[in-house]
Amino acid sequence: MSSNARPILTAALAAATVAVLAACGPATGSSGSADSAAEAVDFSGVEPATEITFWSNHPGGSIELEKELIAGFEEETGISVELVTAGANYEEVAQKFQTAQTSGDVGDLVVLSDATWFPAYLNGSILPLDDVLEAADVDTSTYQDTLLGDYLYEDDHYAVPYARSTPLFYYNKDHYAAAGLEDRAPETWEEAKEFSAAIATAVPAATPFGYPAEDQYPAWTMSNLVWGFGGGWSEDWDLATVSDENTVAALEFAQASVDDGWAEVASGDPATAFSSGSVSQVIASTGSLSGILDSATFEVGTGFLPGGPETSDGVVPTGGAGVAVASASEPERQLAAAMFAAYLTNAENTAFFSAGTGYLPVQKDADMSAVYAEAPQFEVAVEQLERTRSQDFARVFLPGGDLEIAKSLQAILTQDADVAGTLETLQASLQTNYDRDLKDDLETE
Amino acid sequence: MAVTPVAPARPAPRVADPDRRRRRRSATSRRHLTFVLLAGPNIALILAFIYFPLASNVYYSLLDWRLGARTADVVGLANYVELFTSSRGFDVWRVTLIFTLATVVGSMVLGLLVALVLDRNLPGKTFARTAVFAPYVLSGVGVGLIWLFIFDPRIGLLGHVLRALGQSSPNWFIDPTLALVMVIVVYVWKNLGYCAVVYLAGLQSIPKDLLEAAQLDGAGPVRQLFSVKLPLLGPTVFFLSVTCILSSMQAFDILRIMTPTGNGTNTIIFEIFLQSFGAYQRAGYSAALAVVLFVVLFVVTAVQLRYVERKVHYR
Repeated sequence: MSSNARPILTAALAAATVAVLAACGPATGSSGSADSAAEAVDFSGVEPATEITFWSNHPGGSIELEKELIAGFEEETGISVELVTAGANYEEVAQKFQTAQTSGDVGDLVVLSDATWFPAYLNGSILPLDDVLEAADVDTSTYQDTLLGDYLYEDDHYAVPYARSTPLFYYNKDHYAAAGLEDRAPETWEEAKEFSAAIATAVPAATPFGYPAEDQYPAWTMSNLVWGFGGGWSEDWDLATVSDENTVAALEFAQASVDDGWAEVASGDPATAFSSGSVSQVIASTGSLSGILDSATFEVGTGFLPGGPETSDGVVPTGGAGVAVASASEPERQLAAAMFAAYLTNAENTAFFSAGTGYLPVQKDADMSAVYAEAPQFEVAVEQLERTRSQDFARVFLPGGDLEIAKSLQAILTQDADVAGTLETLQASLQTNYDRDLKDDLETE
Repeated sequence: MAVTPVAPARPAPRVADPDRRRRRRSATSRRHLTFVLLAGPNIALILAFIYFPLASNVYYSLLDWRLGARTADVVGLANYVELFTSSRGFDVWRVTLIFTLATVVGSMVLGLLVALVLDRNLPGKTFARTAVFAPYVLSGVGVGLIWLFIFDPRIGLLGHVLRALGQSSPNWFIDPTLALVMVIVVYVWKNLGYCAVVYLAGLQSIPKDLLEAAQLDGAGPVRQLFSVKLPLLGPTVFFLSVTCILSSMQAFDILRIMTPTGNGTNTIIFEIFLQSFGAYQRAGYSAALAVVLFVVLFVVTAVQLRYVERKVHYR
């Protein structure tokens, strides 16, 4: 090779490398990565596909239940469903679903949690469901309103509720009896404080109340406390709520509960701490109920979450996962996936799924009598659905929001951090994340 | 009198033999072909699975790209600037430095002590060597789960021991400083067997006559260690320091299992996970972190190979 040709060849090779890299990565633009809101599809005249794939993490150890439901669907419709284990938890399914977008080889129906469906929406990876559900003759008015409403954004639903849960108040009936307390959960946080003081005296070996640690989604269960005090993590996209006086008051109450010795942050899963008897009262997921009932050696009581000084209505955050349809799938597969989603979550099957896992029934008319007969505590969880409220955007929609709130809560509860100062820092951090990661996307819609 | 310089006589050019040249060219071509046939598939695999992802990652590090999004903005070096100027970035470096220093020094010092014990002619030494090395080959996830139980302040083994001694167990998982201490202890425990076995090989390669000579000169065990064994272990120490730094800076499994949110343990590799696949979904920023980690590891290795290796041989 001549010495003159070498630089030209090197430059050409470099240019080719850059071109190949650019071709393999995302398309680059100049104004935000606004992929959001996959385009609506016209389903008139579309026939459902004969086979689809379902990506799931089998929430609540439900793989056998899911296989049984799939068998029923295949028998009823003739559409075959391939069940794919796409991860061990909601986060792993979401990671796989998002990274698979570049190849286009994604599941037609996918399990996405309350905190993972929104990034998929922003990326345009999931389909607005209202049209396809209408094409599949699905009546969405029978779903529990709050649970379906969790997936509503900009007038479209992006999932239907599937493995849904709420936090529930659990108490140790033996400890309550020893403390001379009535057999009921406290109705307010002030009453929880009184109950806890009585338990602290009567059962000194136990911690009266346990808060969840940073890795146990404290921003979810503690939404109840801050909502009861009139605060919150955000008001839609207004992030000032997280440091307003009501939120500060709520978390000063929580910090005082630790300082006064009637509460502490439990290591590991709060449900485990409760069922071991070392913590007398916790707020944990309804999905933990069957595990607690199996492992506790004492009688377990359940009750509604406490109200606060401002309100007792709408103080129960919803949680868990729904199922969404991939926008990358062909319309025929999308229609078949929507039919399967409707089948998975119809009144009969949601009761079946609920009985096997402990998740809440997502249909208003699900017959839960068999479940109640076996575990009467579960009835409280279902009755509590009337008090539910969709979660604050800062926790479930803002990337990193849940973790940053959790870290601030842990600092307040375990390191005696100044509440107002910590929440102001948190607000600034959330605002930075919003401005950097979401603002352009949401404004270009 | 002017002297006219005379050019030195050049050897007469050899007359090229076209056949010979052709034969040589043909042999060269055959060698090239053989090289391509034998090495080509491997080179193709290395290019496809190492250098192409590496180059892709550098390209992604210049983007503001949410994981899974089909479009992204080119932001130049903004991701790198954020890493080196934000308080979060500073904290990541601080934790990485503490974790790496503590685990490398801990593993190497304790590994040496264990190796010195195992080097003695003690009964059951084969079993002891196996037992010391075993943690190194265990899965990090399994090790993390076992130590989770040991450190659990309510039901853990350590808590029971402390309570038997009249002490209460600290909350290892909640206090960020204690959480970092906890994962360092576990990581050192898992890796000291590796260091011990490598040291042991080094110790056993020391010529016996040197030790006997030192003994005859009146050197006791401590003097022998510092004046004979350690200088001769120079190449081993060098090798271990390189491999331990490389593995410590890439340690992830134990950290993830024992501290799922990186509470106090947010090293650069953990931050890469959190920023891309974890809570933040920032594939571009995470790629920048990965590039910086690569450069750091590359520089550490290159510096040690070039400047330290020469000085470690005892003369």
